[in-house]
Amino acid sequence: MNNLAHLVEVMGIDAGGTMTDTFFVRADGEFVVGKAQSNPNDEASAVMESSGDALHLWGRKLEEVYPELVTAVYSGTAMLNRVVQRKGMKVGLIVNRGMEDFHRMGRGIQCYLGYSLEDRLHLNTHRYDEPLVPAERTVGVTERVDCHGDIVIPLREKEAVEATTRLLDQGAQAIAIVFLHAHKNGKHERRVAEIAREILARRGSNIPVFTSVDYYPTRKESHRSNTTILEAYAAEPSRKTLLGISDRMRGVGAKYDLRVMASHGGTISWKAKELARTLVSGPIGGVIGSKFLGEALGYDNIACSDIGGTSFDMALITKGEFAIQKDPNMARLLVSLPLVAMDSVGAGAGSFVRVDPYSQSIKLGPDSAGYRVGCCWEEGGIDTVTVSDCHVVLGYLNPDNFLGGALKLNVERARQAIKTQVADPLGLTVEKAAGGVIEILDQSLRGHLRSMINAKGYNPLDFVCFSYGGAGPVHTYGYTEGLGFKDVIIPAWAAGFSAFGCATAEFEYRYDKSVDIAVPPSASDGTKTASCVTLQQAWDELAEKVIEEFRINGFKPEDVILKPGFSMQYLGQLNDLEIDSPLGTVSSVEDWNRIVEAFDETYARVYARAARSPELGFGITGAIMRGIVATKKPKVPMEPEEGPTPPRDSELGSRPFYQRGVWKIAKLYSMEALRAGNEIAGPAVIESPATTLVVPEGWSTRLDSHRLFHLREV
Amino acid sequence: MSSVLKMMPNERRKTGLCRSGLTLREHRNQVLARTAETGAYNGLTKLAIKEGDPIFFEKLASRIRAVLVDARETAKKIAASPIVEQEGELCFTLYNPAGDAILTSTGIMIHVGTMGAAIKYMIENDWERNPTIQPGDMFTNNDCAIGNVHPCDVATIVPIFWQGDLVGWVGGVTHVIDLGAVSPGSMSNGQFSRFGDGLQITCRKTGVNDEPLRDWLHESQRNVRATNYWILDERTRIAGCHMVRDRIEEVIGEVGIEVFDGFGYEVIEDGRVALHKRVKSMLIPGKYRQVSFIDVPYKHEAMATPAQYAKIDSIMHSPSTIEIKKDGGWRLDFEGASRWGWHTYNSSQVAFTSGIWVFMTQHLVPNERVNDGAYYGTEFHLPYGTWMNPDDRRTGHAYAWHFLVGSWTSLWRGIGRCYFGRGYLEEVNAGNSSTANWLQGGGINQDGDFHAVNSFEPAASGTGARAWADGLDHAAAIWNPEGDMGDMEIWELAEPMVYLGRAIKANSGGAGKYRGGCGFETLRMIWKAKDWAMTFMGDGYVVCNWGMMGGYPSSAGYRFCAHNTGLKERIENGESLPLGHDWDPDHPEWEKSLWSGAEVIRDKQTMATEQAFEDYDLYLNLIRGGPGFGDPIERSCRQIEADLNGHYVLPRFAQSTYGAVVSQDAKGLWKVDDAATAKRREEMKKERIARSVPVRDWIHQERQRVVLKDAAVHVRHMYASSFSGSKKFLEEFRKFWDLPKSWILRLGEEGIEGFGQMSIPLDSLPDVRRVVLVDESVERPEDY
Repeated sequence: MNNLAHLVEVMGIDAGGTMTDTFFVRADGEFVVGKAQSNPNDEASAVMESSGDALHLWGRKLEEVYPELVTAVYSGTAMLNRVVQRKGMKVGLIVNRGMEDFHRMGRGIQCYLGYSLEDRLHLNTHRYDEPLVPAERTVGVTERVDCHGDIVIPLREKEAVEATTRLLDQGAQAIAIVFLHAHKNGKHERRVAEIAREILARRGSNIPVFTSVDYYPTRKESHRSNTTILEAYAAEPSRKTLLGISDRMRGVGAKYDLRVMASHGGTISWKAKELARTLVSGPIGGVIGSKFLGEALGYDNIACSDIGGTSFDMALITKGEFAIQKDPNMARLLVSLPLVAMDSVGAGAGSFVRVDPYSQSIKLGPDSAGYRVGCCWEEGGIDTVTVSDCHVVLGYLNPDNFLGGALKLNVERARQAIKTQVADPLGLTVEKAAGGVIEILDQSLRGHLRSMINAKGYNPLDFVCFSYGGAGPVHTYGYTEGLGFKDVIIPAWAAGFSAFGCATAEFEYRYDKSVDIAVPPSASDGTKTASCVTLQQAWDELAEKVIEEFRINGFKPEDVILKPGFSMQYLGQLNDLEIDSPLGTVSSVEDWNRIVEAFDETYARVYARAARSPELGFGITGAIMRGIVATKKPKVPMEPEEGPTPPRDSELGSRPFYQRGVWKIAKLYSMEALRAGNEIAGPAVIESPATTLVVPEGWSTRLDSHRLFHLREV
Repeated sequence: MSSVLKMMPNERRKTGLCRSGLTLREHRNQVLARTAETGAYNGLTKLAIKEGDPIFFEKLASRIRAVLVDARETAKKIAASPIVEQEGELCFTLYNPAGDAILTSTGIMIHVGTMGAAIKYMIENDWERNPTIQPGDMFTNNDCAIGNVHPCDVATIVPIFWQGDLVGWVGGVTHVIDLGAVSPGSMSNGQFSRFGDGLQITCRKTGVNDEPLRDWLHESQRNVRATNYWILDERTRIAGCHMVRDRIEEVIGEVGIEVFDGFGYEVIEDGRVALHKRVKSMLIPGKYRQVSFIDVPYKHEAMATPAQYAKIDSIMHSPSTIEIKKDGGWRLDFEGASRWGWHTYNSSQVAFTSGIWVFMTQHLVPNERVNDGAYYGTEFHLPYGTWMNPDDRRTGHAYAWHFLVGSWTSLWRGIGRCYFGRGYLEEVNAGNSSTANWLQGGGINQDGDFHAVNSFEPAASGTGARAWADGLDHAAAIWNPEGDMGDMEIWELAEPMVYLGRAIKANSGGAGKYRGGCGFETLRMIWKAKDWAMTFMGDGYVVCNWGMMGGYPSSAGYRFCAHNTGLKERIENGESLPLGHDWDPDHPEWEKSLWSGAEVIRDKQTMATEQAFEDYDLYLNLIRGGPGFGDPIERSCRQIEADLNGHYVLPRFAQSTYGAVVSQDAKGLWKVDDAATAKRREEMKKERIARSVPVRDWIHQERQRVVLKDAAVHVRHMYASSFSGSKKFLEEFRKFWDLPKSWILRLGEEGIEGFGQMSIPLDSLPDVRRVVLVDESVERPEDY
């Protein structure tokens, strides 16, 4: 495998809660995946250890490979954990006087965010998390700006002095300033920041000061304040972690600037001003990887599906672009970060299976055994049946090769648990019960996948489905069956697909700004032209911010490709749709009509033709600017085709396999030993240490020259 | 094509729309007859689909449920009203041909029954013949006389056809922001009958071929104030219903109509059986009695009600008995409830029975399978003529929730005692808050448009204390456990008034070993409005949620507003301003920051009709808290400290109610002295004993007052109202107080208003069949 003729150019890192995965790609497209236990106290060491594990497979050393690397992208959960565990900085918060309680009150929705449907109804289970900033470090300053940006009460500067002094006396390590409607008029916030900085300078302090208008100038104060606070609370400490990793990499000869996966689906520098957007990046890696593969292989419309131990995550790529959600939530907090739109269902391989004693119906999750697998792994200490138990009993998983044989699974223990907890109460055999659980899960996932596509106004027939994640390929046939996808694709590196996706991400900044453009149905041409001017001004302002970020990393303005967008609604609506602008700049009535047309078409597709309401007029609520610079991307692997028959050394024997009420004999194969062009007809199970691809009877799969399995019903 | 023809023989089409060839009415009658005969819904003593293949049954249920939830999530993004978009006040439900609910989305779940009642009304009144029911039709309903909660909940109902047969219905409802009632806002205030409640539409055919009819659009859009909201709300409902219908057609295509049809009945029987099992395992057989009251303060000058006879003070009376049977069945009996009245708080029987599931799904059956099985599994006794089942077609319902919320809070206590007894402490909740104030109004807004407003901040009221923890502060409403107060910036877009404060309301949660969740208060300054008027609505004199096992009630509301404030000048001059907390209304501070000539209203009259407001005027929106659990003197000192430092409890009440001995350090931090507190609490126990009297003696003293009818006029009116409709209640009352047979309080007797003792029922109208879904038997006292 050691092929020095090809340099190792790209590296992706996915530092999860339990494992840190690294993904190295050579110039010829060959790749290796490394794993190491994550270390929250020393992330850099985990990255190095994982790198060593990967490069060992090529027989190469860190010191050789790191200097060869052109680019590296990091994605991790450290910042998220800091937030979840409330281990961030002591932030002082300045808000409108009279509104000192609003942050700790939170929004009602935050007391059931992340809950299953049932618990959302079950009032006594609701709870608020501790606020990021406690009451005693929240201070009010008198001022008010209205929703048009007009000043109602001028800023009382003396109070700003008192507020800053009080926060400093209380040991604040950062100051965040959030006033209502600052996104419309940030004058007061900026003046308070100025005052605070003067006081800091006088006291010889250099703690950072954050204003919501300069960080996240979008409407909805709970989202904007949470995000601005997170910048102070969690992002700055994380910058130190990233600096540590960057330094360690430089220590072994790295020359690139480490980039970090951000919520909007691009990567940004660890030096970026707005680092809070790297808070969530885990599951989006796969979406980025799918987009990249789609571009390389010519798929425009892709349904991305990722099953891990606890959740099923789905996303859509349409016409080569993924959608962005603007007011999402992370760690049970509402935030105003652009996030790759994904639908998540709390059902995965580790989900618990229970029979409701009242309705005698099977309930899956919402809780899960996580890394403790299920009853089949006694050492995990789990006594409740999980989906994995059903897989083991039915012959889908190899009890001796779970995580490459690291865990030995006890089939009989799983069987007994299913019998007493599921089969007997329902009057079914163990096989029928376990098979039923899998069918219910598959059908629920299939329903969600179909809903997501339909809800966006599309049909599965126009989509290729990508399936990945450690547990994905076991279920692929089940949740795609009958949906009519054009093709169903499982990358051979499904388990490391997120890390791969990170490595393929664009170096991209995205900035958003709320604007209020209203063009009633009776509007004159003058109004339409003026609206174009307002939109263009916002784009210009955002473009400057984007270019400035790239400047920090040494890029020139001309290196940056700018992509403007906007959020539009029928006048008066609260929601809007994000549209990639069909025009680079806008100035005329014709331009206005053009962007309205783009919106109208999208609206009819997403909702219903009958829901279109052009007679109300049109409003633009947000301006968006994305900027990209060229970066090194991994190559998609390319191997010569070697014919349909799998090589003898790929065959691993056979095992009984339960499908639709009947035991069958499935042939077993080693995924790594299969060659491009090989075709396998079900029933068959293709095993690799980190994932298992199930090909039931009536299905077949073919491995193509890019090491992608194509699964189809025959 | 041939199979279609086979399914549709011509002679059969002449009879009914059902697959069997029966008319919808014949079909429903058969379903009811089979249910009555066997005790099982539709005679389904055996569930063939479920028992034959439980996995398949499960899959089908979860698939249909997902269709409904998705439709709600997608459709709500069309709306402009923050009530729908931000508060999620919409829901979609699937019905079988008989109009019984199969499954529902989340949202305002009370409408599972109310839309079903509308469908049943169409069935019973032969809509099938005229105006006819065709594929592509849409029907609109918000008529309270046939089951709606209040007129602002507008429903669109779409029939689902398969090969020419009607195989189901889908209904979608949104809470609209205005519907052209006497005063602006969704729940108009001040009128006293249906004729001021706003536009009411009775199952009208409003669309054909999937398109709304132009006459309907023109008529409806000019009869409401906030027309843009109205238009987009209707599109939200239609889009959602069509999404559901189209996806259900796909499901039928896959599983076959036989199976889908069978499922639509089995799943209801399954729900009924599951409820009984749940009751059996969570509750204890027996009878649980409780009562609650809430105020109807119409006499005050702030209520500009245009009828002398309606301008009285009264109290809603809601005695109830929960009877848990050994087989898991149960009966909810409201014998003795007040009569319907000249106000807008009456409720239809369906609003009452269906709404109860919003409450039950928060603890007893928190699952996604709520359907009409729960209704069939429960016996309701709502005597005809009471406020929860009026026998008069003139009744007003605009704010039915005032009574519903006030009535149901006592059910938490009844059922909570069961949970407590069974050891399910985690399910105990001391009750819901009275979800108010309702900030409503209208005029010309900040954008120069004709406009109406209806803040939904009460969706995040404080919740009742649990048997193991405090209630949640500012979190939920009984009508929507997924509560949210929304962002101020969004409300400011919708309402021409800026916030001068949003703050946790100290002492709004009831005291207790575990205190009730606190509500909050928002102070608004009218801004950029013209010809602007507003109303207040909520409880003020009577608190309905009492607390449990020694816990205290939450505080009732009060009204604060100010005109001629001088704030324009004070802002310019940099003088102090009223901001944030109205800390202690007994010792008001805000007034010190207003012009000395300001007109300030601060009283307990929390029902007030339209009053003009100008820029710089103030309006306080006070959101109530929940009741407490357990004796306050058992609350831990550390929790009291946290309450004081977090401003959840005022220091003087920490001392008087909790018996805490408190002090404040130099930095203002409160401390509670454990030893001194323990000592003080021992003294309090002695004081309690010292002022107590034996129950026997107390009853004896009180009896004298009862005999002499020595009570406030609204108390007398309330009892007279209850006696007028229930011989049983009157006799129990006489027996309890050992009163002579001749003792009675009557409506219309000296000092007690009696206008309107005759009732004019809905089915006195020509060609109207009323749909009755409860035991509404009444036995009035002999001479009534």
